[in-house]
Amino acid sequence: MIFRQLSYLLKAAGNSLWSFRGRNSISILIIGFSFLVIGIFLALSNNLTYLGRQLSNNLAISFFLDKNLRSEELDFIKSQILTSSLVEEATYVSPDEAFRRFAANFPELKDVLENLKSNPFPPSFEVRLREKTINLTALTSFMENIKHLRGVVDFQFNQEWVEKMDSLSRIIRAIGFFLGGILILASFFIISNVIRLNVFARKNEIEILRLVGAANTFIRIPFLIEGFTLGLVGSLISIIILFILITMFPIYVGGSLGAARELFILRPLTAEQIAWLIIGGAVTGTLGSITSVSRFLRV
Amino acid sequence: MIELYHIWKQYQKPFWALSDISLEVQSGDFCFITGPSGSGKTTLLKIIFRELFPTEGQILIDGVNILKIPDHKIYRLRRIMGIVFQDFRLLFHRTVFDNVAVPLQVLGINHKEIRRRAFNALRQVSLQNKMWELPQRLSYGEQQRVAISRAIVNNPKILLADEPTGNLDPELAFEIMSIFKEINEQGATVIIGSHDRELIRHFGDKIFFLQKGKIIGKEVKK
Repeated sequence: MIFRQLSYLLKAAGNSLWSFRGRNSISILIIGFSFLVIGIFLALSNNLTYLGRQLSNNLAISFFLDKNLRSEELDFIKSQILTSSLVEEATYVSPDEAFRRFAANFPELKDVLENLKSNPFPPSFEVRLREKTINLTALTSFMENIKHLRGVVDFQFNQEWVEKMDSLSRIIRAIGFFLGGILILASFFIISNVIRLNVFARKNEIEILRLVGAANTFIRIPFLIEGFTLGLVGSLISIIILFILITMFPIYVGGSLGAARELFILRPLTAEQIAWLIIGGAVTGTLGSITSVSRFLRV
Repeated sequence: MIELYHIWKQYQKPFWALSDISLEVQSGDFCFITGPSGSGKTTLLKIIFRELFPTEGQILIDGVNILKIPDHKIYRLRRIMGIVFQDFRLLFHRTVFDNVAVPLQVLGINHKEIRRRAFNALRQVSLQNKMWELPQRLSYGEQQRVAISRAIVNNPKILLADEPTGNLDPELAFEIMSIFKEINEQGATVIIGSHDRELIRHFGDKIFFLQKGKIIGKEVKK
């Protein structure tokens, strides 16, 4: 019985979607646009997160040590460094090795180095971070812990850039959600109003259904199906457009941005993000329709 | 079976559309509510199927006070009723068949059975040849027959009809009344609001005379 009713309800929803296709299409486009805005910001934020990750992966932390440390003390510091889950590798760089590297990197300063009476470079541990390490809070706390060990004099890490990238990514995402949120709210009201118009347009039919013994659920379900469909189709369209934008962006706009291009690359959304956008669309549509139907369909 | 106690209905002060109506209709009765236009026939019928609430009074159907049934459960009452509205209330963008099938679709009856019953109901009002037409292409009288067909399609326990023969020629009116009588003989209680004296005289077992919202007389043939 439920399936037989379901086929009737689906048919009723389909009829209404088709009969009022003009206003339904407009609401689909508005939902699509709202979710597209969120999608674009998510794609930009994905790129910045990616850049931040790349940056942190390429950066090494150098812990500078006291020159007079014994080998047990060095081993202890190394073991402390390696206990952190953030660390991939820790390599000891002796003062001589540091000197050699400096000489190799800056051959123009060869004369200055030759005139030095002693090696000014301290020994250090060069720490390479595990891939995908971007948790700055954990990283900062790790560096602070090591810095306070006996024998560690200082550390060097180009944290600023990673932090900047990370906060930029967060700002972009927040702007995306803020703008998207406003637009989703607008879509919610638009769907609600479109469904309300559909309810009004079918007022006679609803009245007749009530009088021939239709339960409230039977009357409501087609409208909920309509709202769900509008939201779902809208969000699917936004994902398709976003996909096209991601593909076309480097071809048409990318080159003109010069060096800044790297920052504005639209990185594809993850499967999870796509799923949330689709679910978000369907939920927005259904909620919009529930509000409208409950408020204007007092059955 | 249907009991009305001291029903009062006021749309606008100080006029009363119905004043202290009390009546009883037994199961299997074939009764008429008659009176001039504006006497309150339609209001009374609307109150019986609870499209309207009375200002005062109580209505019992099979011992249940229908005014106490919550809104979301009123469909259960309507499913045992067939109603012919004065203004037909047809779905003009749906075919005649779809219109007649609506009460069955609401019940979740299978498609084959819906077709069979809808066809039979249309045959009873001689409209089986127009089942795929849109109601707007039918004459006024035919539209009325579609409304009748929809009201009888699910073999209702109670059939309420508001001026069901108002737009029909005497011959067809007589035929429609015979259909109602047939349904009544199968066990349904029939209440008809009408001012067609000829039909009332011929078919009515129990007649309530209404004037200015008050029952001014009652006639029982049996």
